[in-house]
Amino acid sequence: MMQMLIEALRIPVIRHAFLGMLVAGATLSLLGVVIVSLHLTAIRFTLMHVGLFGAAAGMALGFSPTVGAFTVVILASLVMGMLAKDKALSASSISGLFMTGSLAGAFLLLASTGVPAMQVFDIFAGNILMLGTQDLWLTVCVALVIVATFIIAFREIQLVLLNRELARTLGVPVDKVMVMLFLLLGLGIATALRLVGALLVDAIILLPGIAALRFARSFTSALILSVLFGIATTMGGFLVALSFNLPVGASAAMVATLLLGCSLLATRILRI
Amino acid sequence: MDHQIKITNASAGYGGHIVLHQVDLMVQQGERIIVTGSNGSGKSTLLKLIAGTKTATKGSVEVLGYQMSKSSSRQAVTKRIGILTQVQTDPLIAITVEEHVLLGLWGTSFSWLRRPSGEDRAKALRKLELVDMDTLADRDIRTLSGGQRQRVALACALVRDPQLVLMDEPTTYLDTDAKEDILFRINELQKELSFTSIMVTHEMQDGIKADRTIRIAHGSLEVLG
Repeated sequence: MMQMLIEALRIPVIRHAFLGMLVAGATLSLLGVVIVSLHLTAIRFTLMHVGLFGAAAGMALGFSPTVGAFTVVILASLVMGMLAKDKALSASSISGLFMTGSLAGAFLLLASTGVPAMQVFDIFAGNILMLGTQDLWLTVCVALVIVATFIIAFREIQLVLLNRELARTLGVPVDKVMVMLFLLLGLGIATALRLVGALLVDAIILLPGIAALRFARSFTSALILSVLFGIATTMGGFLVALSFNLPVGASAAMVATLLLGCSLLATRILRI
Repeated sequence: MDHQIKITNASAGYGGHIVLHQVDLMVQQGERIIVTGSNGSGKSTLLKLIAGTKTATKGSVEVLGYQMSKSSSRQAVTKRIGILTQVQTDPLIAITVEEHVLLGLWGTSFSWLRRPSGEDRAKALRKLELVDMDTLADRDIRTLSGGQRQRVALACALVRDPQLVLMDEPTTYLDTDAKEDILFRINELQKELSFTSIMVTHEMQDGIKADRTIRIAHGSLEVLG
């Protein structure tokens, strides 16, 4: 297995894919803890659909679908974060607004511009083996931003996830922290779209976070476990794909599913 | 007379809707005030004015000697007050009891890149002793009962050694035993630590001890006794 991996890593395309998956697994999974703790599962699903609109818009404007998806997902996450300040608007309402709007926008663009739909829908599948040097650097930059934010605002994030009312009264700029978390979520999802596609974003971001929160007893342990589960997901998926000549994204998603399934079973049996 | 809170002719609301209309309230040091009223009557808005998370549209709000219309004053007051909110019925974040209490010190000895010190942790543990939760300091709050979580939240409210403690429906969602327990502890700790308190509640209970009870109705304050 090791020999096969070393051999495979000599090929630049596979090396990029390996590094991309390693970096993404180790960092994007941190966002899963935020998504679960803030009940933002609907928002992350919406951002995946916004990616479709972004891909269509990118192609219509002559850019690559990935650039379009990346840009629009980040902009949408920023606007969603600002809208989340409004107490009258729930996360589900914001989610409904953006999901319907982006899907409608995507289909209207496809119909009116003649952009080939299949290329746009590629955003759902992703292709890690198409990851170029620039994409890899972009993934590393996003990873650094996520890790740096968690280091700098560790206590502030903890307070916002624990009790927003308490955080606000203590003087934490809750609205700004929320916008920052939405932005990180947008960055993470936009990156994962490129690696494993919209349909499998949860494998890298959400499932390791859920599994981590089953075992964790503190915020620090939740973050460390989510990183470990994230690495296990992406590296496990990568090795399975390499060994059996299977798609990397789907293999990683299957590893994440098994990992979470085993976590649920283990915590139930051990009564953790 | 040493007034910790002086609210004079203050109005507050949301958008164009006035919730509190030209209210006056004076609270002396060490006083225990209960604020009652129906849902939406403005109880929580009054607490927000005092905590500085909302500013009055008219009139004056002075807390611990600071005019709350100024941002610097609000920051100074924030460091001197404790907050006890409703119990969290289903917390999703994994966090230890000690960490929860420690977070109550945010903005005083640590924030952003400034990390909590050993003394901060010792202080958090001392407050946990006050509510008999020190033996569970390493437990995840998700594994505690509602009553235990509220005792931890009380320790978190007291960790700044506040002069003033604001409590917003602290017994809501608790069972009868837990309600009695938390009210008993609040009373005992108030005697021991001599802080001023304002408790907002929609239900008057036997265990609540107060020097004055104020009812809010139609945007006005009415002293009941």
